[in-house]
Amino acid sequence: MTKGVVVVARNNKSLDYIKQATFLADKVKQHLDLPTSVITDSTEYLYSKKYDSKFDNIIPIVWKSEDMIDGETLLSKSELHNNRRYHDGTVSSKELQFKNGARTGVYDVTPYDETLLIDTDVLIMNDIYKYCFEQSHNFLIYDKSYDLAGFRNPNEFQYISDTGVKFYWATIVFFRKAEENKIFFDLLNHIQDNWYHYRTIFQIPTVLYRNDHAFSIAIHIMNGYQSGNFSMPMPGKLFYTTDKDILWQVKNDKPFFLLEKQDYFGEYTAALWNNHNIHVMNKFSLERYIDEVWNE
Amino acid sequence: MDERLEKALDFSNFMVTLNNQKRFLQESYEQDIIHYTNGCQFTVNKELICFCKIMLLQEQDSIVLIDDNSRPLEIENLEEFYNTIMSKYFEASNTYLVEYTKLTKTRNIEKMVEL
Repeated sequence: MTKGVVVVARNNKSLDYIKQATFLADKVKQHLDLPTSVITDSTEYLYSKKYDSKFDNIIPIVWKSEDMIDGETLLSKSELHNNRRYHDGTVSSKELQFKNGARTGVYDVTPYDETLLIDTDVLIMNDIYKYCFEQSHNFLIYDKSYDLAGFRNPNEFQYISDTGVKFYWATIVFFRKAEENKIFFDLLNHIQDNWYHYRTIFQIPTVLYRNDHAFSIAIHIMNGYQSGNFSMPMPGKLFYTTDKDILWQVKNDKPFFLLEKQDYFGEYTAALWNNHNIHVMNKFSLERYIDEVWNE
Repeated sequence: MDERLEKALDFSNFMVTLNNQKRFLQESYEQDIIHYTNGCQFTVNKELICFCKIMLLQEQDSIVLIDDNSRPLEIENLEEFYNTIMSKYFEASNTYLVEYTKLTKTRNIEKMVEL
């Protein structure tokens, strides 16, 4: 059984997801001793930066069906051209393209029998994800999460809407090549292709396509439109900071954050985290941190 | 600003940071007492420890336990399992105590977050 990590990295005009993916691949090697493959539409940039040696496989996204090589490339869908506001702390933000349309195709291109699919903005600090490969369930995903700030309303990460189904995080997913997972990823593709219909049926108020929502809907359907055991939880909890918080630095393997301060716009609370993996949604501050580490 | 108010606001900042750090320690502890074995996940709490000890006193060598995700697992070597979870529990609890004590003795934010 081959094992590895897959990451999807698609740059927009301000964020360097390739850089984040390269940093993640280093951390995966260090803590999990696993190879990392990257799915990207920025292959030229990746090679020009000489990041290619960090990856086990580089899987290009192609734009025409005649350029497609089965299992080695991923055909781009007509992109939804999502735009979203990316914050860098509480007072600064940018409206940027949110190219999240390739995740549903990961099953068909992963080179591994057992795949850990991770977002580029996760800081891997320990080896807890090794457990995914030791357990017997074929599909693991987080349903429990923990916001470091402690005061923000967590409802949007518990249910996909006020009247919707349970929320699952597509941030970190473990799956094996298995018939039921093929069905699941095909269903995900179908949901993505018919997003307007599904977001209406599942009463999602925002137009923005989010993989978390598509995964949540697909899991609900796979469970027979009720709670069930199609998915099991990833080990531990998903700890996260939002893009209103700032990753300032990492000291002795402990990330130091400035957390948004309740009721004080533009002010922050200092917070020293421990050595548990954490999802850092402020990608600008993550990139500044990576630059700092690489320049040392 | 009135000096009394300024001091109160400084203290308020200190308390927010202290409470956050305490929450993080507790969360960290709750993660550290999870024991993963044979594809199952067990939170090592006093109940699990006592149950295993009672089974050992009943001279049971192996038992079936239900993990955190409701999966049954046969523990073939109960004594070894018991020793492992005890060690996990003590290590995590001691770390929690040391870190918590260090935190509560700190009197300013800079030292609290090791700046």
